[in-house]
Amino acid sequence: MTPPRILFRTYVVPLVGMTAFWIQRVTGLLLLFYLLIHVETVHHISGGQAAFDGAMATFHNPFFRLLEIGLLLVVILHALNGVRIIIIDAGVRSKHHRKLFWALAVIGGLAIFIAGALPMFLNSVVRR
Amino acid sequence: MNKRIFIRRSSDNGKSLVQSFTIEARPEFTVLDALFTVQHQHDPSLAFRCSCRVGMCGTCGVQVNGVSRLACKTRLNQIEENDVFLSPLPHFKVIRDLAVSLAPFFEQWKKVLPRLRPRDADAEELAIIPATSAYAEHSEGKRDCLTCGLCFAACGVLATSQQYLGPAAINKALLRVLDPRDTAKSERLEVVNCSRDGVWRCHTQFNCVTVCPKGIDLTDSIGFFKRNLLFKGGSLDS
Repeated sequence: MTPPRILFRTYVVPLVGMTAFWIQRVTGLLLLFYLLIHVETVHHISGGQAAFDGAMATFHNPFFRLLEIGLLLVVILHALNGVRIIIIDAGVRSKHHRKLFWALAVIGGLAIFIAGALPMFLNSVVRR
Repeated sequence: MNKRIFIRRSSDNGKSLVQSFTIEARPEFTVLDALFTVQHQHDPSLAFRCSCRVGMCGTCGVQVNGVSRLACKTRLNQIEENDVFLSPLPHFKVIRDLAVSLAPFFEQWKKVLPRLRPRDADAEELAIIPATSAYAEHSEGKRDCLTCGLCFAACGVLATSQQYLGPAAINKALLRVLDPRDTAKSERLEVVNCSRDGVWRCHTQFNCVTVCPKGIDLTDSIGFFKRNLLFKGGSLDS
């Protein structure tokens, strides 16, 4: 059995572009799934306040609060990876694509995620 | 050191099978040395392709632990995993064991009209290409293609469509289109601008750049075409 660190060094590090490609596809599908739930929930507004509150009540529990934090991560990864692709398409020499991935999608993404997820976690999950 | 080499081989019933061989590998051994050792010590019927053995001919492409590489340029001690899994390059028809036919690669290569079409084929004077020309500026580091087919094998787009031109052919088209001596720019541009099989099919996965044994920035060539076709209508004057 090959240790995960060797698999990471063999496949993820050299094939960063492919890793980013799959991150973009998977997060895109997750966002599509979220949008379907979002639209389905919001359409209850047409049934009046009680109907909408009833639909929203499903999501007022720690499990969905945690999923909300996961949604933040998905949005950040998808958006920053998209920015990375735009920068490359705009003409930045593609030899810099690895640095761009680690800087934007990983370091930048992690910083924004922590800045957003920490208050969300403290307010929505811990203090409830 | 002892290395276990797993090789995906073809069998008589048309299905592939994996055979493992343990070899005594010296530190400087390449994957190609390992293949010769297996052939000499274990199974003389093992089929693989090679020619120059020094990374110049691009003949010995194989998949090493899932990544397309030249066997002669890949040292066994660079591979961190204990086991080395060798299989034929994907997206090509297997002739036998690790030997594949590069026909699909060259079919796409031919589509971009790779031969130079000069204005005067009989001219005796040497053409002078200024160092400030678009060709000189953008072709550096992109003229070394071995036509090994590794980029074609590694390309994720070609896994779903064999009609895609592929990175090497597009890079060749760029060199020809930028060349001030060339007269077939519009024909080549028409091929690479094809929405289904041309440059627009690239998903910027960088697999081609990762596996290219000459380090050619193939995705940059594709991006160069995209930007120029989009913003300059195909005028590639830098």
